[in-house]
Amino acid sequence: MTQVSTQGAVTPPVGRGESRGFRGRTRSLIVRFNLLLIFLALCALGAILSPNFANPNNISNLLQQSSLVGIAAIGMTFVILTANIDLSVGSVAALAGMTVAIFIAGGMNMWLAFALSVAIGLIAGSVMGGLSAYFTLPSFMVTLAGLVGIRGLTYLLSDGTPVTGIPDQLAYLGSGRIGPVPVVGLIFIGVTVISALVLNFTVFGEHVYSTGSNPEAARLSGVNVKKIITITFAICGGLAALSGVLLTARLTVGQPTANEGLELDAIAAVVLGGTSLFGGSGGVFGTFIAVFMLAVIRNIFNLMGLGSFYQMVVTGVILIIALLLNRLLENRGKR
Amino acid sequence: MSGSQLLSMRGISKRYLGVQALDDASLDVRQGEVMCLLGENGAGKSTLIKILTGSVTPDFGVIELAGEVIEVRSPLEAARRGISVVHQELDLVPDQTVAQNLYIGREPTRFGIVDKARRRQEAADALERVGAHFSPNARVRDLTVVQRQLTMIARALTVNARVLVMDEPSATLTAEELSHVFTVVREVASGGCSVLYISHRMEEVFEIGNRATVMRDGRTVAVHDLAAVTQDGLIAEMLGDQRTLVDRPLRDGSHTIAGGLDIKSVVIPGVLEISGITAPRGQVTGLIGLGGSGRSTLLSALFGAIKAQRDVTLDGRAYHPHSPRSAISQKVGLVPEDRKSQGLMINRSVWNNLIEPSLNQRLTMPSQRRFTTPRSVVSALGIRLSSLTQRVRELSGGNQQKVVLGKWLVDASTVLLLDEPTRGLDVGAKADLFDEVHKLADSGTCVLLASSELPEVFANCDTIHVLYEGSLAGSFHPGSNTVDQVLQAMLGVKGAQ
Ligand SMILES: Nc1ncnc2c1ncn2[C@@H]1O[C@H](COP(=O)(O)OP(=O)(O)OP(=O)(O)O)[C@@H](O)[C@H]1O
Ligand SMILES: [Mg+2]
Repeated sequence: MTQVSTQGAVTPPVGRGESRGFRGRTRSLIVRFNLLLIFLALCALGAILSPNFANPNNISNLLQQSSLVGIAAIGMTFVILTANIDLSVGSVAALAGMTVAIFIAGGMNMWLAFALSVAIGLIAGSVMGGLSAYFTLPSFMVTLAGLVGIRGLTYLLSDGTPVTGIPDQLAYLGSGRIGPVPVVGLIFIGVTVISALVLNFTVFGEHVYSTGSNPEAARLSGVNVKKIITITFAICGGLAALSGVLLTARLTVGQPTANEGLELDAIAAVVLGGTSLFGGSGGVFGTFIAVFMLAVIRNIFNLMGLGSFYQMVVTGVILIIALLLNRLLENRGKR
Repeated sequence: MSGSQLLSMRGISKRYLGVQALDDASLDVRQGEVMCLLGENGAGKSTLIKILTGSVTPDFGVIELAGEVIEVRSPLEAARRGISVVHQELDLVPDQTVAQNLYIGREPTRFGIVDKARRRQEAADALERVGAHFSPNARVRDLTVVQRQLTMIARALTVNARVLVMDEPSATLTAEELSHVFTVVREVASGGCSVLYISHRMEEVFEIGNRATVMRDGRTVAVHDLAAVTQDGLIAEMLGDQRTLVDRPLRDGSHTIAGGLDIKSVVIPGVLEISGITAPRGQVTGLIGLGGSGRSTLLSALFGAIKAQRDVTLDGRAYHPHSPRSAISQKVGLVPEDRKSQGLMINRSVWNNLIEPSLNQRLTMPSQRRFTTPRSVVSALGIRLSSLTQRVRELSGGNQQKVVLGKWLVDASTVLLLDEPTRGLDVGAKADLFDEVHKLADSGTCVLLASSELPEVFANCDTIHVLYEGSLAGSFHPGSNTVDQVLQAMLGVKGAQ
């Protein structure tokens, strides 16, 4: 090679043909919002199949039922975006739901009990996340241990029996309505909006995505990857605990058996919502819609009077179809 | 040596959202010849190859192999037809062994069970053919970039190929390793297999190639017999007529600005023991050595990316980066060796990649409209893209490489650690990059440049430090030393200075 330098005009940086064309744009919109379209189609189907579906009362019930899973699923979204997984959310929710009841039964101020219980979830999450991040243990295993261990702890705390005595004010949070809108629904929407803002407009949110996309590149760009992972687990634990406390509030008892299988519902919603299990892509908007979608399917079955066994089978099938559709549309955009 | 027509691609077009990657391109390859494919970054070389190997479907076009029109719908089908490829971006499974990777999808079996002993033996043979000195049982994750590259080539050879495609196999190989590879390529070609060879290094092209096809802006502009053209002629054809390359004087090391990195010692027991390298501001300081000599390790240590005992000062003050983050906060930036695994988030946008290192001081994300520095970095480096929100994976290899450097220009790093920064850049882009690097140096940036290409280092550095097996083997000045002296030191000959 000779020593060279360039002279003359530099290649224009922007490629030929900047415009994307109408077809391209519509297609990318469809890819982006396909879940919303499927959801709307399902709602239309529901309205046709059952006249009760579009009833405001039914819709408000839907919101009531799906919000608790939804809150946990939003937390799960953070964790999955970093390419990790949290299997312990059901147990963490149960633990927090139990401690809040025990604290109150012991005479503690109910708001303090509320806050403390959520904090317990936050701490449980950060301990598991921290173990996984700083000792490079797979989060699947650490949180599986958490799932078993924390559930056991919940049984120990309560001697395996339910704890009663939830005051009315707290019960209102769990089952009350403002006009036609359930309070838990508002909390779910609030949590989603705040999370969306955090993920899209803060540097922390950006770092969550970079950590999930390529942890090594993120580290070499100055991202404290371990800290980011730990924080997402703390968020997930905190939101799981919030969900658990709200369930106790709704049932007005703390039950050690509460929230079993919550982790699966949450993971299903996150993945159905288009967040990649490999991390780095997706977001809470998809999770939000997916949570409703799963609830609507269940609701349609109830309205049609079909049993829960059918529901389980069909939910499974729909999950697969939705995933395939997602993948298909995505590949279309690529090749 | 070149026989009858073996492969012919005609009228190939491919449009992506926003870009016409290929526009009526064509390619003819004869049996047993080495055909080189040349063109600027983004000219469409890799896209053409991906179409041939079934990983991308063309919008239009015909592929003919040995007189028969074929449709290649998947990489597996391509392999079955004897089209074997070494891709530009390494795609190996990091957690598996080399032997497993070589035979992925077509493991040798006995009674339906993988015959591990045979696989290991055959893998060892294939590795030997490419002159690799590591075990087939090694995990890919533990290999260096060079070793991974050799694994890829060995993998392509384990298929009985009729067409062997190599997309920039040399970008990371040292001269010694490359000559091994060339021996293999010649052997393969004389056995009747055609080789399609993509490279931006012109000397290589003339050394290995029989003919060359030149591409520009997605079109095939010329086909030449390499014996009948000059290097300058080819370069002119690649770049089009809007620009030319001119000679530039050697740097003389006289332009120094106070401050910079003073590496009194950097030690990693058993791996690296370096002392007495200074990298003053205002200069480009070169690090050269054979593969495994410790260049990348030294840069990583200076960036706080790996643990090391450091006695280093930056601008006269002690410099102790305990993490990349702390290095970055002192305005130090690293362009790592492997852009795909260390440098880029390929599924995220160019914008997100570019601003990543400058986010550390911020709480909220800047808006694309107000924060215009990334846009000017893109035009300063001549990165070809359709929009800043385009995903990095959609850029051509060379343009991806420019993004990795661009990351450090957005926030104006004042110490740049460059590890093979020209990997995959075309001749014009290389010159542009060094223009930019020299400009940065002249304005007071401290540049440490590690490279395995001696001519490149010689032409662009003020001082050259040679590393040999983890320690400093000598320091040279391009003005007063010869290329040969540097080469001797690289090979470990004592007293070369
Ligand atoms: N998946 C994709 N989506 C959108 N555009 C793409 C995609 N793949 C390639 N392109 C565009 O097609 C053009 C040709 O790219 P290609 O990778 O073939 O170039 P190349 O000649 O191999 O360049 P290099 O020497 O840098 O490797 C580029 O402008 C690139 O941005
Ligand atoms: Mg390429």
